[in-house]
Amino acid sequence: MKNLLRKNKRGNILTENIIFIVLNLAFITILLLFLFSRTGDASVLEEKYAKQIALLIDAAEPIMTIHLSMEDAIEIAEKENFPAGEIVKITGNVVTVKLGEDGGYSYSFFNDVDANANFDTLNKKEYYFVVNEKQ
Amino acid sequence: MQKNKKGAEKIISVYWFAILFIVAGAMVYMVSSFYGKPYDVREIEAGLLTDKIAGCVSEAGYIQSVVLSQGFDNSFFDFCNLNFETEDAYGWKEQGQYYTEISIYNFNSEQVLSVIKEGNENLKEFCELGGGNLPVCLKRSLYTIAKDNSQYKIDILSVIRKTEKNA
Repeated sequence: MKNLLRKNKRGNILTENIIFIVLNLAFITILLLFLFSRTGDASVLEEKYAKQIALLIDAAEPIMTIHLSMEDAIEIAEKENFPAGEIVKITGNVVTVKLGEDGGYSYSFFNDVDANANFDTLNKKEYYFVVNEKQ
Repeated sequence: MQKNKKGAEKIISVYWFAILFIVAGAMVYMVSSFYGKPYDVREIEAGLLTDKIAGCVSEAGYIQSVVLSQGFDNSFFDFCNLNFETEDAYGWKEQGQYYTEISIYNFNSEQVLSVIKEGNENLKEFCELGGGNLPVCLKRSLYTIAKDNSQYKIDILSVIRKTEKNA
């Protein structure tokens, strides 16, 4: 009888520990998922790339070609079934980055140049921007 | 004695979860406040604008003669390849989000020879104030000479608002 009680007690301790560890793991997993979802969020990337491209064009001189790796943004656009060739658009002096049908982020640049955004169809991981003098 | 031990273990477990929730809460708050706020790129933008203007008014250390001529204000944007138009968001088109002031002094006498002002002049008022939701101002000075060896000091003030998308 004494031995049986001891066994039960040991069994309880083990179950409690397993529940405790599983709960902790679940908790940490949810936390990590939240962190990754925030850092890799489409709206965050849209803003980041729109501003980055606008600043690159501001710093550029005519007859320059700038290559920008946008692998993470292209991956998200592909998941959303959004054509990779339409992620970046430059209209006048405004850069617009869209990673889905909805949303998008625009930012203007002050450098009065002709800038074109082109998707690199060879490696499919980057965009290149051709900066020319305004006609 | 054993009962006490079990009780103590339960308290430790509750205490442990309380710590976990506090840590998680802090992380969620920090991540939300960091990624919830836009990236503020105005300082970089103001720096680039200042560099661009400096490279425009002075080339290879020599002041561009057109800068000292009357009516340069009218040709400033064309000459420096600048465009202060912005996207039509938050009423930015009407308000003007950029301002620049170029003051040219005689280096020896400190006499003001010319002041060129472009953009929304109202933004300049905020340069004296401090605060996150205000326009960003950047002032830089450069020394330059003319072909006849006369010396000049040029002050460039660049102000960028774009508060709604940066602060």
